[in-house]
Amino acid sequence: MSAAGTNTKKTHSFQLLAPGVVWMILFLVAPIMMIVYVSFWTQTTFAINSTLTLDSWRNFFASEAYVGALWTTIRLWLIVLTLTFIVGYPAALYVGLLVKSKTVSTVLLVLCVIPFWTSFLIRVLAWRPMLGKEGAINIILQKIGLIDTPIEVLLFSELSVIIGMTQIYVVFMVGPIAFMLGRIDRNIIEAARDLGAGFGRIFWKIIFPLSLPGVVVGAIFVSVMVLGEFATSGALSGRKVNLLGNIIVTQVGSLKWAMASVVGVILTILLGIVVAGFLRIVDLKREI
Amino acid sequence: MKQSDPIFRLDGVTRRYGNLTALDSIDFTAEDNSYISLLGPSGSGKTSLLRVIAGFEAPDSGRIWFQGRDITDLPAHERGIGFVFQNFALFPHLTIFENVAFGLRNGAINPPEAEIIQRVKETIEMVGLTGLEDRNPDQISGGQKQRVALARSLVMQPKLVLLDEPLGALDANLRERMQTELRTIRERLDVTFLHVTGSETEALAMGDKVAVLDSGRIVQFGTPEEIYDAPIISDVALFLNRFNLFDGTLKDGVFHGAFGSVPVSGARANETDVYAIRYDRTQIFDTGSTDLPGPALPARYLASEYLGSSIVFLFETEDNKTVEVDHHLSLGEPRDLEVGRDYVLSWSPEQAIVFGKELAR
Repeated sequence: MSAAGTNTKKTHSFQLLAPGVVWMILFLVAPIMMIVYVSFWTQTTFAINSTLTLDSWRNFFASEAYVGALWTTIRLWLIVLTLTFIVGYPAALYVGLLVKSKTVSTVLLVLCVIPFWTSFLIRVLAWRPMLGKEGAINIILQKIGLIDTPIEVLLFSELSVIIGMTQIYVVFMVGPIAFMLGRIDRNIIEAARDLGAGFGRIFWKIIFPLSLPGVVVGAIFVSVMVLGEFATSGALSGRKVNLLGNIIVTQVGSLKWAMASVVGVILTILLGIVVAGFLRIVDLKREI
Repeated sequence: MKQSDPIFRLDGVTRRYGNLTALDSIDFTAEDNSYISLLGPSGSGKTSLLRVIAGFEAPDSGRIWFQGRDITDLPAHERGIGFVFQNFALFPHLTIFENVAFGLRNGAINPPEAEIIQRVKETIEMVGLTGLEDRNPDQISGGQKQRVALARSLVMQPKLVLLDEPLGALDANLRERMQTELRTIRERLDVTFLHVTGSETEALAMGDKVAVLDSGRIVQFGTPEEIYDAPIISDVALFLNRFNLFDGTLKDGVFHGAFGSVPVSGARANETDVYAIRYDRTQIFDTGSTDLPGPALPARYLASEYLGSSIVFLFETEDNKTVEVDHHLSLGEPRDLEVGRDYVLSWSPEQAIVFGKELAR
């Protein structure tokens, strides 16, 4: 091919890429650069100016509340991630592998998605009448005589935030795993049986490794959403649990742009590390 | 174990799916150390039969015996019967070496690592895959995958290997080479192969014995020669794709068909009256010939197919039935035929096989 031909081809791919690239620069790269920049601005009680300073960063790492929120975020993220996996994997195994009929497994997957037809806030708030002191769970447990006094730790605690988040995000774990499991050739499992492997061996040596890309994609979905969470903890913890997301909301609310930017940058870095870490586990390019 | 000892035996094995009877009370005994082809059209239940023997499915009734033991209720992973899948079913996330080693690593026997490595290496060498141990299944060709699938089963040293249309996914060239190789490998290993196929040439070429399956029953079991020369019912003859079959009526030792009435010396019990003559026993004569060896069937010449070692001529009779004549080229040059012209087909009556409701003697 001539040099001119190559050039035309290059020009064409640039033209095709241009809208996407412009969009990403305007609405992703530029805002992120801006947030990083603002995080170094000087913040006074009622005003902010663009004199560069490390004050906001120092304040963040000096404050027990802020650093505590960072650790709470990481802890809750790990707990919710583990729980969505523990709850989600068996469900995905059932939907994707054990159900023989494609129709039934599609119906089951749709059932998992149905809660998403209501708004996010309603789904979160619906946990209040479930978990409250006079909520459904306590009433039922009292009626059947298992407990005398209502369990108070159910609502407005870290537990309620964990329960709420797990319920909301578990489907993002189930979907990708069920998809990967559904793609496994049934003959492969029979071949393993024929070679003398029992169910446990088949699961750990064949089924689980083959579903790993689904687990990784699910884990990335759940992580991205949980790490940036503020609504569930706001609505179900009674302000007792503060995540990085909650801090951004309150800082923006009180016009503390510099501190909000610092938290935003830290959250972005955290997300970057987490996603990069997950992508190291499997080579997703091979699965596409 | 002697050659004649049975390796496995089926005792009235029946398998139903809803209203459909896939296996209809099958009794079957297979000799040890032999190559058995199981020939059947699609839907005849041949895959079901393999799956029941392997233990992937349980029969609704009947017993399965393997090496003198009743294994009907034994789960698949405890049977020690090899299975080679039509689509190979290799483990996509494991290397060729680990694919072959899977059964040794994860089965009941658990040999030491050194023995695993040695056995895997020997088996890989036997199927001619040395050098590909570290590849992944998506980096090798169809024929190589076939060998991996075979090696994966053989490394477990089974006494019986079930092959489910193992050559179906390969192209014609490779298929012929693998046919010979499968036979050679089997002879070296003191193992019985039960090879399921829908291709009559493959079944006849490969099996020491051929079992013909039709609608869930084994209708004939014998050597390839027996099956080829003496199909037991007209369905087998039809399926062998080597016979011109004519409907008609058999009455008082005389067969009345499109070619007139022919006295027959004997007939095989069959549900309908059918007259069968092999393609290569059918001869072509000009209209009006007087030196016919037997019955005269007027037919119009349509076309010919050149097959290398022989030529197949296609004719059409007055009742729109296609009749084939196979002329082997070692018998000399074929005569020139004019497309669209009428000829007369004939054959010696003693070479015909007659099937009938009436058992003429």
